[in-house]
Amino acid sequence: MRINIFRHEMNTRVRSVIIWSLSIAALAIFFFSIFPSFAEDAALSNQLLAKFPQELKDAFGLGKIDMSTILGFLTLVFVFVQLCLAIQAGNFGFGLVSIEETEKTADFLLTRPVSRFQIFTSKLLAAIGSLLITDIIVSLAIFLAITSFKGERTYDASTLLLVLLSMPIFQFFFLSVGLLISLLVKKVANVTPFSLGLAFGAYVINAFSGVFGDVKLEYLTPFKHFDPVHIVQNSSFDTRLVLVNVAVTVISLAISYWLYIRRDIHAVS
Amino acid sequence: MNIFFRELKANLKSLLIWSAVLVLLIVISAAKFSAFAGDESMLAILDTMPKAMMDAFSMRAFNLTTLIGFYGLMFIFFGLMGAMAAAMWGSDIISKEERNKTVEFSLVLPVSRSQVITAKALAALVNCIVYVLITWGISLVAVTKFNPDQAFKDFLALEMQAMFVIELIFLALGLLLGCAMKQYKRSGSTAVAIILTAYFVSVFSGLQEKLDFLKYFTPFKYFDAAVMLRDGKLDGMYLLLSAAIIVVCMAAAYYTYNKRDLYI
Repeated sequence: MRINIFRHEMNTRVRSVIIWSLSIAALAIFFFSIFPSFAEDAALSNQLLAKFPQELKDAFGLGKIDMSTILGFLTLVFVFVQLCLAIQAGNFGFGLVSIEETEKTADFLLTRPVSRFQIFTSKLLAAIGSLLITDIIVSLAIFLAITSFKGERTYDASTLLLVLLSMPIFQFFFLSVGLLISLLVKKVANVTPFSLGLAFGAYVINAFSGVFGDVKLEYLTPFKHFDPVHIVQNSSFDTRLVLVNVAVTVISLAISYWLYIRRDIHAVS
Repeated sequence: MNIFFRELKANLKSLLIWSAVLVLLIVISAAKFSAFAGDESMLAILDTMPKAMMDAFSMRAFNLTTLIGFYGLMFIFFGLMGAMAAAMWGSDIISKEERNKTVEFSLVLPVSRSQVITAKALAALVNCIVYVLITWGISLVAVTKFNPDQAFKDFLALEMQAMFVIELIFLALGLLLGCAMKQYKRSGSTAVAIILTAYFVSVFSGLQEKLDFLKYFTPFKYFDAAVMLRDGKLDGMYLLLSAAIIVVCMAAAYYTYNKRDLYI
């Protein structure tokens, strides 16, 4: 770990981190601002829902959670927060080392008296640091939103904490998978389509398994690994899926190290 | 003309990748739908649902056991995919010249900047058209085993037209961003920001009746699958609104690119 590289990487990300954190924070607060009136409507449809056969509720993923409660509503909002977090983490992952090649600065960096291992570690830590800062700001915003719009309602603080804690692990998945893909392909000309594809791909798979109540796809997408509905219902993570998630993250990181250290990086012609 | 063919060729790979993702999406969802198709017991339960309930979960007009209902549900995904692909093509086709440091070269060619934009926009437009046609074709192939009737085919045609209009809106927007942004790196991320905002606004406006006015701000709400099914045509007012957005974006794109200081 080289403090110069770390600091430089952090500096180049400041702007991006601020924009992402504030946008996601605004999104959460915006959604929560309609919570008071939404909760009344939801309470009404809960009464209707209670009369429904279980079979139907399962098929459409309805009624699993009470939308008129704070944490129930949070699950609705949180999926969108996750989508943004996934794109951000994907951006950082895909751009982490590929940006040196597209911006033709790889030569310069590699002529410095630091090993590739150190370069990679410093960059990775800077990216993780940036993601953590985002997560902290977003957590504060969600907490703020809940406190200002909850009215008379109460909620379980430890479950909320658990939901918020899922954010960094969720982001590390996209960071390391993005990183791995960026090292597997020949060239990442533009980071955005890649991260957009990865994040939305995972999001759509998640949405599908919600609609059709299938279970097989849940292994594939981090949106299911950290399904807020599951966390709120059980006040705990789905340990099996979280382990799958962490395993993929760690393995991708290990392969990325291996690939980067051996990568043929072309000089600027 | 040379630029047009050059761009078509350069974008072929991207088109293939986006199409592959879409094909995968359709195939997976069709496979999942087969578990549902024609399930009589499900149909019976759905019939007993009160209307308020259907409204609350925006399941109105969609009977998931039929092909039409299933495709009504799929529309938002087609719209999203089309929007993302089109916005990426639009912004990248302009800004990549600056990123790849080839913009000097294209400027010394004996063509005006407007001609460059026109050729590039047409190439991206062809991509969008091909993308819709692929979606349409694959959809028809994927559902053959469910014996689609004429009503479904008409509905699909309507959905594909709507998808195309959404694509055009975001293509124009992407081109404008590519032309107007001083920093080439920002055009792609700004496009993503706009798509995400539009998507969230469309979700948001569905949550509450009071927020219904938000639907004018998001192309994803211009063509609601339920409304298309009911009316059998695209809403004329929204078509006009879409056309206005596209014209304004394109005009602004030409105007700014012609005046702009390019990054060399």
